Amino acid sequence: MIICPNCGNKEMPGALFCKECGSQFITISRDPTMTIPSSLSDQLHEYLSDEDEHVVPPTPENASLSLFLVDFGEVIPLEGLSEYTLGRSSEDQPILPDVDLGLYHGYEYGVSRLHASIKISTPYAFLTDFDSANGTQLNGQKISPNKPYPITHGDIFVLGEMKIQLLVNR
Amino acid sequence: MEKSSLYDRLGLPRDASVEEIRHAYRQLVLRLHPDLNLNLGETELFIDIQQAYEHLSDPKRKADYDKQLPEPREIVSPLSITTYYSQPSLIRLSEPQLLYSLLDFKLHPDTSLLMSSTPLNISLVVDCSTSMQGIRLDTVKLTAIDLIRQLQPNDIFSLVKFNDWAELLISAGSLSELKSTEMKIQLLQAGGGTEIFKGLEMGLSQVNQFRSNNRVNHIILITDGRTYGDEVSCEKLADQSSALGIGISALGIGNQWNDKFLDHITSKTGGICQYISNISDIRSSILGEISRLGSSLTEQITFNYLPSQKVELLSAFRLQPDSSPLVLGSPLIFGNMPRLGAMHILLEFLIKDIPAKLANFTLAKGFINYEIPRHIIKTKYVQRIIFERQISRELIQEAPPPAIINAMALLSLYHMQERAREEVGIGDLNSAIRHMESLAGNLSKKGEYDLAQTVKDEIANLKRNQSFSENGEKRLKYGTRSLLLPARIEEGNA
Repeated sequence: MIICPNCGNKEMPGALFCKECGSQFITISRDPTMTIPSSLSDQLHEYLSDEDEHVVPPTPENASLSLFLVDFGEVIPLEGLSEYTLGRSSEDQPILPDVDLGLYHGYEYGVSRLHASIKISTPYAFLTDFDSANGTQLNGQKISPNKPYPITHGDIFVLGEMKIQLLVNR
Repeated sequence: MEKSSLYDRLGLPRDASVEEIRHAYRQLVLRLHPDLNLNLGETELFIDIQQAYEHLSDPKRKADYDKQLPEPREIVSPLSITTYYSQPSLIRLSEPQLLYSLLDFKLHPDTSLLMSSTPLNISLVVDCSTSMQGIRLDTVKLTAIDLIRQLQPNDIFSLVKFNDWAELLISAGSLSELKSTEMKIQLLQAGGGTEIFKGLEMGLSQVNQFRSNNRVNHIILITDGRTYGDEVSCEKLADQSSALGIGISALGIGNQWNDKFLDHITSKTGGICQYISNISDIRSSILGEISRLGSSLTEQITFNYLPSQKVELLSAFRLQPDSSPLVLGSPLIFGNMPRLGAMHILLEFLIKDIPAKLANFTLAKGFINYEIPRHIIKTKYVQRIIFERQISRELIQEAPPPAIINAMALLSLYHMQERAREEVGIGDLNSAIRHMESLAGNLSKKGEYDLAQTVKDEIANLKRNQSFSENGEKRLKYGTRSLLLPARIEEGNA
């Protein structure tokens, strides 16, 4: 059985989307039973309320993450670093982003050179927008720049117009 | 034209098994409803099928027949059919699981075709009930006149008007005196009710008179109202029409017509059903429908299939050339494939159980049948299709093909509004509102703000009136469907 990470609805193995809320399920790892910590929005509220003192150390043994580029059907694994910058490379720029979306028409999609970062920790990873030109949306809401937002398996964020889903392999 | 073999009559290849012969025969008989003979000439077809079955189901007679057949020629199938799956393999589970498959039809590059348009054999069946009065009927009349002027000499055209009964205004094959024909159309008046069966019945008998493998045989129904009491007859007529190779498409004007009913009828024949919300779109919709038919490579692609035990086909959806849900049942009618372009069908299989110790699991198998009008070599084709997956011990991790993911992302939105409609139907307003709210959220996320607004308006309607507005219901259904159109998907990716 698959339990929807967003709304807790149960779907059959093999389902690609939640019939209740429309969330896309993990598509690369599918054990017969997959459970994921419940309701993201509850956690988000909790998190926002004690934001100031919040420091989550990266845990070395944590689950491996990957990014699913929705429009391209491509999966980019995140391995080896505790924080990844996302952007697109350009010739006159000395710093390269860790995840180069220039390879996926990043310019046309409105991805900035240094657009956002993902910090890996458990139980959540953190997404930060670097005050990018076209902004970042998380699950349909625009996020404020330079503030970390917790994200977890199944969340969709949009850099400019590039849709990316976070996948957690267990 | 080649003489059709007994196998062709049943839509089977020569190596068909006894079981396959029996299955194909049963399917055909069920669709023809011989007990409800409408005297449309299908009696002849029925006898042909009966004869073929009697011969081929008897092993000795079959062997004799096979001997006298000429050696089969090696013919490249004009269509190449590729099957994609949502996962590379299956694992045995203690619970039911789903598997999605995408069928991709393309014209085989080696196929040489006459590239001129396919001759038409069409009947325009026009609702002339009271509600059509005024600009609706006037626009239809003017468009029909333009249409007739554009027809080619070898096209066959008829026009049926109907309200409480049907009247043949222009009979098939009689287009000679343009002036007097145009006059007849000009004089059309609106009045009375909407008896769709009467109109379709006459349209079908007209198209059937000139039915031929070398034409696109089709009925176009134009209506703005609901039919009452003759729905079952219409359904049977659709089955017969489809067995005869005649498609039915419908153009629904305004908000009063029954979209569920016309979707069902047209889908049974491989036709399409369109919603015309603006009067100004009537003309382009009618002409568009004619040019769609004229540019078709093959009108009815059908799939006569048998699922394996413990497997059920849950849904079938045509993603290209248009987006329409398909009526389940064997055969599945996939419909029209354009000469330039492709056809994509998405199938959803429910696998209840996988037997132990299998290396390969067959989900379903069957035959794809189609006709290519005016093809030089032959017109009738059959291709065997097997849906199967390897059984692996551990799950092979691989993302599904983007085409399947993209289609399902949008299809899930279409299904969400269908569910909300069903829930309103059974009085479960809370669930309906919940699903509509997630639909609105998902649409906004995709940048479909207009459609999201329609959803929000309908949520307000649900809260106020405990029902959808008729117009909102249709806008939601055809709006979420249109998200799947290839042009829209490309736009989204650009």
